[in-house]
Amino acid sequence: MKNTYILLLTLFSFIAVQAQVDRTVMPKPGPAPEINLGVPQSFNLNNGLKVLVVENHKLPRVSMQLSIDNPPILEGNKAGVASLTGSLLGLGSKNITKEAFNEEIDFLGARLYFSSQTAYSQSLSKYFPRMMELMADAAIYPNFTQEEFDKEKDKLITGLKSEEKVVSSISSRVQRALAYGKNHPYGEFTTEETVNNVTLSDVEEFYREYFVPANAYLIVIGDVNLEEVKSLTEKYFTSWTKAVPPSFSYSQPKNVPNTQINFVDMPNAVQSEITVQNIVNLKMSDDDFIAALLANQIFGGGSDSRLNLNLREDKGYTYGAYSSLGNDKYGPSRFAASVEVRNTVTDSSVVQILKELEQIITKPVTEDELKTTKAIYAGSFIMALEDPETIARYALNIEKENLPKDFYKSFLEKLDKVSKAEVEAAAKKYFNVDNARVIVVGKGSDILSGLQNIDYKGKKLPVLAYSKTADRVETPDYNVAVPTDVSAQSVLEKYITAIGGKDKLESVNTLAMMAAAEMQGMKLDLNVKKTSSDQLMQDVQMMGNSVSKQVLNGDTGYMIMQGQRKDLEEKELDAIKKESAPFTELQLVNDESVTIEGMEMVGDKNAYKLKIGENKSAFFDAETGLKLQEITVTEMQGQQISSTSNFEDYKEVSGIMFPFKIIQTVGPQSFEFIVSEIKVNDGVSPTDFE
Amino acid sequence: MKMKLLLVSALSVFGFAGLAQEVAYEEYNLENDLHVILHQDNTAPIISISVFYHVGSKDEDPQRTGFAHFFEHLLFEGTKNIEKGEWDKIVSANGGSGNATTNEDRTYYYEVFPSNNLELGLWLESERMLHPVINQKGVDTQNEVVKEEKRLRVDNSPYGKFIENIKKNLFKSHPYKETVIGKMADLDAATLDEFKAFQKKFYSPNNAVLVIAGDFETENAKKLISEYFKDIPKGAEITRSFPKENPITTEINAKAYDSNIQIPATMIAYRTPGLKNRDSQVLEMISTYLSDGPSSKLYKKMVDEEKQALQIGAIPVTLEDYGMYIVFALPVGETSLSTLNTSIETEVEKLRNELISENDYQKLQNKFENRFVNSNSSIEGIAESLADYYALYGDTSLINKEIEVYRSITREEIKEVANKYLKPNQRLVLEYLPEQNSAN
Repeated sequence: MKNTYILLLTLFSFIAVQAQVDRTVMPKPGPAPEINLGVPQSFNLNNGLKVLVVENHKLPRVSMQLSIDNPPILEGNKAGVASLTGSLLGLGSKNITKEAFNEEIDFLGARLYFSSQTAYSQSLSKYFPRMMELMADAAIYPNFTQEEFDKEKDKLITGLKSEEKVVSSISSRVQRALAYGKNHPYGEFTTEETVNNVTLSDVEEFYREYFVPANAYLIVIGDVNLEEVKSLTEKYFTSWTKAVPPSFSYSQPKNVPNTQINFVDMPNAVQSEITVQNIVNLKMSDDDFIAALLANQIFGGGSDSRLNLNLREDKGYTYGAYSSLGNDKYGPSRFAASVEVRNTVTDSSVVQILKELEQIITKPVTEDELKTTKAIYAGSFIMALEDPETIARYALNIEKENLPKDFYKSFLEKLDKVSKAEVEAAAKKYFNVDNARVIVVGKGSDILSGLQNIDYKGKKLPVLAYSKTADRVETPDYNVAVPTDVSAQSVLEKYITAIGGKDKLESVNTLAMMAAAEMQGMKLDLNVKKTSSDQLMQDVQMMGNSVSKQVLNGDTGYMIMQGQRKDLEEKELDAIKKESAPFTELQLVNDESVTIEGMEMVGDKNAYKLKIGENKSAFFDAETGLKLQEITVTEMQGQQISSTSNFEDYKEVSGIMFPFKIIQTVGPQSFEFIVSEIKVNDGVSPTDFE
Repeated sequence: MKMKLLLVSALSVFGFAGLAQEVAYEEYNLENDLHVILHQDNTAPIISISVFYHVGSKDEDPQRTGFAHFFEHLLFEGTKNIEKGEWDKIVSANGGSGNATTNEDRTYYYEVFPSNNLELGLWLESERMLHPVINQKGVDTQNEVVKEEKRLRVDNSPYGKFIENIKKNLFKSHPYKETVIGKMADLDAATLDEFKAFQKKFYSPNNAVLVIAGDFETENAKKLISEYFKDIPKGAEITRSFPKENPITTEINAKAYDSNIQIPATMIAYRTPGLKNRDSQVLEMISTYLSDGPSSKLYKKMVDEEKQALQIGAIPVTLEDYGMYIVFALPVGETSLSTLNTSIETEVEKLRNELISENDYQKLQNKFENRFVNSNSSIEGIAESLADYYALYGDTSLINKEIEVYRSITREEIKEVANKYLKPNQRLVLEYLPEQNSAN
């Protein structure tokens, strides 16, 4: 009987082989494949360490991942201690010096990394026993020294300082602080002050309290067998002292009663970062978890999602608009849609994001959208499975998130079954357009009035101002009236007096300046020479090679950019002539086209803003009269590019005040030029302008 | 025979543990001589469908350079049953991804899908082989795209012109003297009939390898492969005979200029043997020893210790007929290029005169073993290696055995090969300089 069946089957397939395929029809995919995930074996050590072993003998290599699943930790006024502990782990151990440790790992062709509550290693399987020994040794017997601590602390503070000017860093800090509150583990943040509160003994204490085996998982994947892993972990990890970390209680974050804009002013911003966020309560073990993932994918999960199609493809406001949906077994997490846009379209972008949110919450997704999104999602889910680290992450998630054992095995099947109605329900439940925080970080003087006038469902959205450290501040008023007795002319006169007086400045025939800046460890030299008779030479050199040079000599001039020389055209000559005088303000004071535009803050100083020509503004300190800043807007390949120069650290040379620090910012790049020498009526010869 | 014995004894002397790795595969020809390689691995439900065409820039008419690379683009333009512009959409809407690459020797197209799309992948690749649409519209579209690619990767890219300058100096008669992207004037001058003839000559089943790797059921895969590919007609036999190069016996000095750079570079290049020659593998070891990673000899000395070089690197290019070994360095500050050249030659000279240390040798072996193991970590990577080993090296089993070749290379052999290929009178010294018009 059985044989007949096989015979029939063979016959059938024979016929099938002979049949001509219909090439005009695109083949349909087969049924969603089931996933052959390695099934982890597991055992526990007496100290609480849980070991998962995923045997995979395809390649003779092993990866190890140690991960400590502690509840969220509140670092309080010592925020930064966790990060420092991570940096100080893995620098050798009490038993082996840092140098010998690094050299051995390099020799073995292996890798080993630590963070505050994790460790990761990858090596050939033949070196696995030694790698486990090294990892355990560095994890259990760390060698925390004052010297390394000081080094890492400096690095951390340097990093924090550079973040202070970065719109996206400030935005992400404020987003979390406002969502969770500053006294919540996810809402608190590290500052220079909190880092300075941390001492070496705090690191030791943090390590002692939290780098403990109670909630620790060691996952070993690859060409190993359970018995070997068992005997090695017992040998190397048994001495890890049993301990349970302390736990915290903190307030539960809540959504705001009404949708509102939370605005943070960053006067240096050329782009605004907008985030629309709300609190969600979503766990991986929830029944609607996959429906929620799909809802987010359709809304803003990828480049084909609605948010990006609207803001990037249709409107051209941004390079990319995306959303993310968090999940957390310990408590609330966030849904957030973020986009970086140019200043002028900030309010329009807010309106579009809210509109898209409203749409996905109130209208069903289309059959086509759901189908394509499922396919893309399934594809990327499946492709990721090739990486053994994905398999490890899944095995760990099943343990940590308390998921059914077949959660990932049946993932595609569940994905396939999700209905339109389920996606719609998830969107309604997890996306919130009526109780959302719209966090906008950007240049207030350009964007605030637009934000205040957004009409949303017939009402204006409340705009609340916050500082860069997420404290409530008074909404800045950019329309401070200029006192009636101040004019463009009086501002310029005050400046001329402040730096030395008209007579003194008029006696200057030539000016030479040398300055230098650092860029990625390379030195950038700036050499400027000017005369009072339409002569200018400006040369920027990198490591001794000229990068860009401009020369004006009366009615002729040229520039060299990247090795290409080009004679200046009449229009360019006119523009550069205006900049060539040693003190252009001596002419501007008599120029009626210069107008006063208002008052603005430059850093923490009140300044008068003067408009000079079409493309340039200059800012003068209302108190001292000194020039604080110049902004020039140029058009390059259809894009408006603004370049900003800030003038600081005025010092006297030959009776005239000059800025000795000039910070030049173009786009995201910033150069801090420190002036080394200024010569008045000296050091300039006619050949400089040839 | 003797060689084999040597190999065994080398293994036992150094006591290498045997690798547990085995990439299982099966290979056969269809009646039209399409070579098929199957590698089954059901670990993850992924499948890679790829076609290797044994055609690269060296097969081009010298007056029509850039054709092979142009076809890499052109064959995405659509087929009889796939409309122009639909290819990429079909791939991504079915959860897949794909791409293609071209070099001097071969062109390689691939798609990776969830494994329930095996048939779709076979349909796509068989359509590409059987029914490519080659019309003026497609040629015009891709002509613009290729020009844009050249602007991006070569013309506007710092140091982007180094390879063309090295090739034209190392090769005088072999077609390796030309670049893969080719001359735009040649592409502009090409007629539609010439493109059609090139397709007919090289993109036939008997000049191709189809590799299916990943999660499939063997009998079903074989059946589908037959259904989709068996009726594609066999093409004419391809014979290749390329001119041979004369040995380089006196140092070649050359200069090249690049307007995208501020910092000059020195590039030292040697002509090396083709990839079937064992010396080619020895040279790869030498390259790793000298310049791979922060702990390599040249990096440690020139970047770390003496701070002469901003960056240092080496590119071993292994090709079918010849190879190239290129070392480059960028100076720090006022360091002259000749200082860099002297530093590099000092280390190369040591290789010619002394044996490398036992410790360095063992570290090299560890690095190669890691590299070998990790090169087989993705299905797509394995598929490409299988095709390369079959079509270029002539031995598919190298997928599992190549590591044995590296293991059998001795310290003595490293010295020998350095003396054979890396003498100063065999090298090209290329000064790669910023292009600058005089300031006055």
